[in-house]
Amino acid sequence: MIAAAAAIARINAVSFPTIEFAAFFVVVFVLSWALMPHPRAWRPFILVASYVFYGWIDWRWVLLLISSSLVNTVAAQVIARSPSQSTRKHALIAAVCFDLGLLCVFKYFGFFVSEFDDALDSIGLGSPLPLVQIVLPIGISFFTFQAISYVVDVYRGDWRASSLGDVAILQAFFPHLVAGPIVRAKELIPQLRTPRDPRAVFAGPGLFLIAGGLIKKTVVADELARRVVDPVFNDPVAHSGAEVLLAIYGFAAQIYCDFSGYTDMAIGLALLLGFQLPQNFNRPYLAVSLQDFWRRWHMTLSRWLRDYLYIPLGGSRHGRRKTYRNLMITMLLGGLWHGASWTFMIWGGIHGGALSIERWGRERLPGFRLPRWLAWFVIFNVVCLAWVFFRSPDLATAFDMLGRVGAAGPAPLVTLPMVFLTVAAIAVQSVPRDFWRRAEAWLVARPVAPQGVALGLMLVVADAAVGQQGVAPFIYFQF
Amino acid sequence: MPAGRVLGVVLIALVIAALFNSEAVVRAGEGMKPGPTRDIVLSIGRPLDDVAGALGFHLPREGLDLAFGHDPKTASGTELEEGSTAILRRNRRKTREQTYAQPAAGRPLDVLVTGDSEADFVGQRLIDQAPPGLLDIDTAARNGTGLTNPAFFNWELNAQQEMASRDPDAVVMAIGGNDGFNVEAGGVLYGPQDPEWQTEYARRVAVVARVLSGEGKRPVYWVPPPTARDDEFNAIYGSQNRAVEQAARAVPGLRYVDIYNTINGGEYSDDLKIDGRRVLARQPDGVHFTRDGAVLPTRLLLRAMARDYPALGKGSRG
Repeated sequence: MIAAAAAIARINAVSFPTIEFAAFFVVVFVLSWALMPHPRAWRPFILVASYVFYGWIDWRWVLLLISSSLVNTVAAQVIARSPSQSTRKHALIAAVCFDLGLLCVFKYFGFFVSEFDDALDSIGLGSPLPLVQIVLPIGISFFTFQAISYVVDVYRGDWRASSLGDVAILQAFFPHLVAGPIVRAKELIPQLRTPRDPRAVFAGPGLFLIAGGLIKKTVVADELARRVVDPVFNDPVAHSGAEVLLAIYGFAAQIYCDFSGYTDMAIGLALLLGFQLPQNFNRPYLAVSLQDFWRRWHMTLSRWLRDYLYIPLGGSRHGRRKTYRNLMITMLLGGLWHGASWTFMIWGGIHGGALSIERWGRERLPGFRLPRWLAWFVIFNVVCLAWVFFRSPDLATAFDMLGRVGAAGPAPLVTLPMVFLTVAAIAVQSVPRDFWRRAEAWLVARPVAPQGVALGLMLVVADAAVGQQGVAPFIYFQF
Repeated sequence: MPAGRVLGVVLIALVIAALFNSEAVVRAGEGMKPGPTRDIVLSIGRPLDDVAGALGFHLPREGLDLAFGHDPKTASGTELEEGSTAILRRNRRKTREQTYAQPAAGRPLDVLVTGDSEADFVGQRLIDQAPPGLLDIDTAARNGTGLTNPAFFNWELNAQQEMASRDPDAVVMAIGGNDGFNVEAGGVLYGPQDPEWQTEYARRVAVVARVLSGEGKRPVYWVPPPTARDDEFNAIYGSQNRAVEQAARAVPGLRYVDIYNTINGGEYSDDLKIDGRRVLARQPDGVHFTRDGAVLPTRLLLRAMARDYPALGKGSRG
């Protein structure tokens, strides 16, 4: 078998909707609950299981993960034990430099070497630097951010230094390892220390989230990607304005269903194992301000950026101008977190700029309020505008997309099912939460067999939706 | 809910899913790399599929496939799996000059770029490397597929479906990166190191190309893999390239696009100089091109296309 297919097969293994993962999870589920009353056995077990899950792609990545846990544990212990403020500070700086260094090497080094090499070439110094080919370990951005938040929390006195085992599980726990949510020490470590009760598993929300996440991913996200979004973004100038608009709104629906679908499954799987992970999405396309949007979208990243970047930069404490500057820096770095590319920078810049304008408006025009529907419309379209840059492989494509919005022409890709999926993915967010809770309660009240049959039929539909092509890799695996 | 009951729900769900999706389980197994996981999935999946088929459990899934617009991609008894090498004999029509309707502004050539994952970047780069307005390109990459594993994905069947639904003016087929499986010819299994494997591969290329070209109605530009970092792969890729060359001598409309011997003189390199700028041309797997690197095979492809469509040679970039 050839490398390319082997690599795809291995990445599929860490993707939840696969046969390999289903088999892995059943085994882990049984053994995890069997060992739960014996914490000394359970903890190494869940750690090894998580390493097996991660190492399935590339065992060397496990070494990276272990080294991250090791360095951050040692730094946190030094911070916790040293009476000297200077030593504490140095330990913190060393740990954060190590963490950011990992990110820089794996995520940005190639980009900067290539840009620097081009710059030297342009002034006649040739191309002296070797272009480096670096495999980006899946999930590195997520486990690195968790490591930084852990060591900073210990420094701030918000959390006490934990054992190597706890830190290792915090970083490696397989449901959240490859694409979040970004979990803080105080959210997971206390749960690790208290054996979960096997008589009270949160099965209702767990199964509901898994089934819902699966349907979001396979029926909505992958279908939209395949039939509208990818063809149009691959060649915008060949498509009419109607197709371009559907692709833009379709991508908004796709990325929501893809990413929130993944985290729904992650949270659901953790619940079945007895652990609660933080919520990552809260109906983001209902937002009526950018600030509101960031309280609903990728919530664990936005609170990370707030607590470990925006507030340390000064937040809103040093006057208006510095607040806008801090907002802009935070969002630009948020963009850069997704990858070293100008398109991500512009995505962050649009959000940073819009957040600043919004803040300026609130302060300067305190009595002014847009009608709610208009505020929703404006915010949704600003978010979609930013998505154009996020999705485009380069700036030229992004501008081609925007330039084609008004273009006349036939629109064979604008079909009723695709319009329906786009609208439904956005509109379903306005369904009251109570409805879903009642549905969960109804499901859990059924006997085991009907529950299993219902879930099984859902799996059949999800698999039929993706067809022979198989489930596409989750968008956030690349970050 | 107690953990035991949750396990019951999960197991029932998986059994239901496996029964109704037994064909998909077998297909997934066929698509895995050889090894214990594949063996386990197939040893469970195949008997399960027999039982499910006998009990009529395939019907709901077939209905759903129809509803989602998915055509079946595997079939038994196709020529791709078994057939005569007579198809590789030089065809008289092949020696005749073939001419095709030329593209013009306002009447672009409708091109389907298909194949395995390598087709993705080739399709994308063809859009920006071709002279503006002359090509209308659709890309349909079927990741993880090849000609040596028809039990996972049958390219003959897929070609028939695609040509019936799209009827393009020309086809680009970029495939081969997943073709390391043994093949059966005349009841004997051959590995990629055997000369018979190359002949059988050429036969399969000819079978698929004949469908794609509509018996010579449209040109098919077949792009086998380039050199790889790994010598073991190069042995297979070299054999595939020779096989495609052999098939191209026989099948009307089939053009062999050689990116194996031409790019960097046939020597593998991670980085290449393109338009005076050194770029990282290959992905870390040492097989796939990067988006930047895909410019080179695309230009070779355009050069091949320009022999049939001279206008493509005039305004193309690079």
